[in-house]
Amino acid sequence: MNPQPFLQLDRVIHEKGRLAIMSLLAASPDLAFTELRDTLGMTDGNLTTHIRTLQQAGYIAVAKSFQNNRPLTTCSLTAAGRKAFTDYINLLEQIVQQTRLN
Amino acid sequence: MSEKWAAENLQTIRTLMERAAVYRRALAPVCLLTGVVGLIAGGVGWVTQCDSPRRFVLFWFGVAAATLAGAFVVIRRQALRDHESFWSPPTRRVAQAMLPSLFIGLIAGLMLAFVANDQSLTWAAVPVWMALYGAALHAGGFFMQRGIKWFGWAFIAGGTVLLLYLVIRQSLPEFRFAHAFMGLVFGGLHLVYGAYLYCTEQKQAE
Repeated sequence: MNPQPFLQLDRVIHEKGRLAIMSLLAASPDLAFTELRDTLGMTDGNLTTHIRTLQQAGYIAVAKSFQNNRPLTTCSLTAAGRKAFTDYINLLEQIVQQTRLN
Repeated sequence: MSEKWAAENLQTIRTLMERAAVYRRALAPVCLLTGVVGLIAGGVGWVTQCDSPRRFVLFWFGVAAATLAGAFVVIRRQALRDHESFWSPPTRRVAQAMLPSLFIGLIAGLMLAFVANDQSLTWAAVPVWMALYGAALHAGGFFMQRGIKWFGWAFIAGGTVLLLYLVIRQSLPEFRFAHAFMGLVFGGLHLVYGAYLYCTEQKQAE
C-alpha cells in the first residue's frame, strides 16, 4: 500500500474532537459555541481548547457579539479551513479506494 | 491504520454534517400552544357562528397569525436561553422548506374569501389547508427529528379523507362544523403530538 496519503493527513484536523468540530461547521454557515458543545457533548474547556487550536491554524473564525444583552459566540469555517477539510476528506477517500484496489 | 478506519472516519463526518443541519429546538411547547389556541379558536368559531366565507377565512388567518406569533416568542426564548441565534441555519432551512405550501394555503384562502366568496367552496378550504399544512410539515421534517414527517402525513391523510367525504356527500354540513373541524383537527392533533413530545423529551432528559 502507498503510505503517501496517510502522511499527508492534516495533523490539526486529524484529531477526533477537532474533526467533529470541522464536520459540523462544514455543514453550516456558522454555529453557536453552545450548539457545538451540546451536539458534540464536549465540556466548555475541551471545546475552547480545540477551537483555539483550529483558530490558530486559521481554519475557523470566532465572532463574539451580543443578543439581547447576552454574549453570543459563533464559529465558522474560513476559506482555508474549508479547503483543508475538503483535502482531508479527499485523502480519506483516496485511502479507502486505494485499499479496495489492492 | 486501515481502510476500515478511513471509512469509519468518513461515516462519522457524514453523520456529524447531517446532525448540524437538524433543527434542535424543543417542539413540545410550540405544539401545546398551537393545540390550545386551535381548540379555543374552534370553540369560539362554533359559538359565534361567523358563517360568511370571508369572515371564516379571515378568522382562521387571524388564529394562524396569533399562533405563529406565539411560536415565535417561544422559540426565541429558547434561543436566548441557550445563547444561540434565533435565525440559525437549521431554522432558516425549516422555514424555507415549509414556506411554499403555507404560501399556497394563504393564496388559496384569500381567493376563496375574496374572489369565490362561496360557502361550499370555503368548506373545501378546510381539507385543502389540512393537506397543505401537512405538506409543509413533511417538507420541514427533512430537517427535524421526532416524527414530524409522520405528523405531516396525518394532516395530509385527514385532509384527503375529508375532501372525499365532502365530494361524496350531497349536501354540506352546517358551516359551524367547519369551525369545529378546524379546531379539533389543528388544535387536537397538535395537542396530542405536543403531549407525546413533552413526555418523550422529559424521558430523554432523565
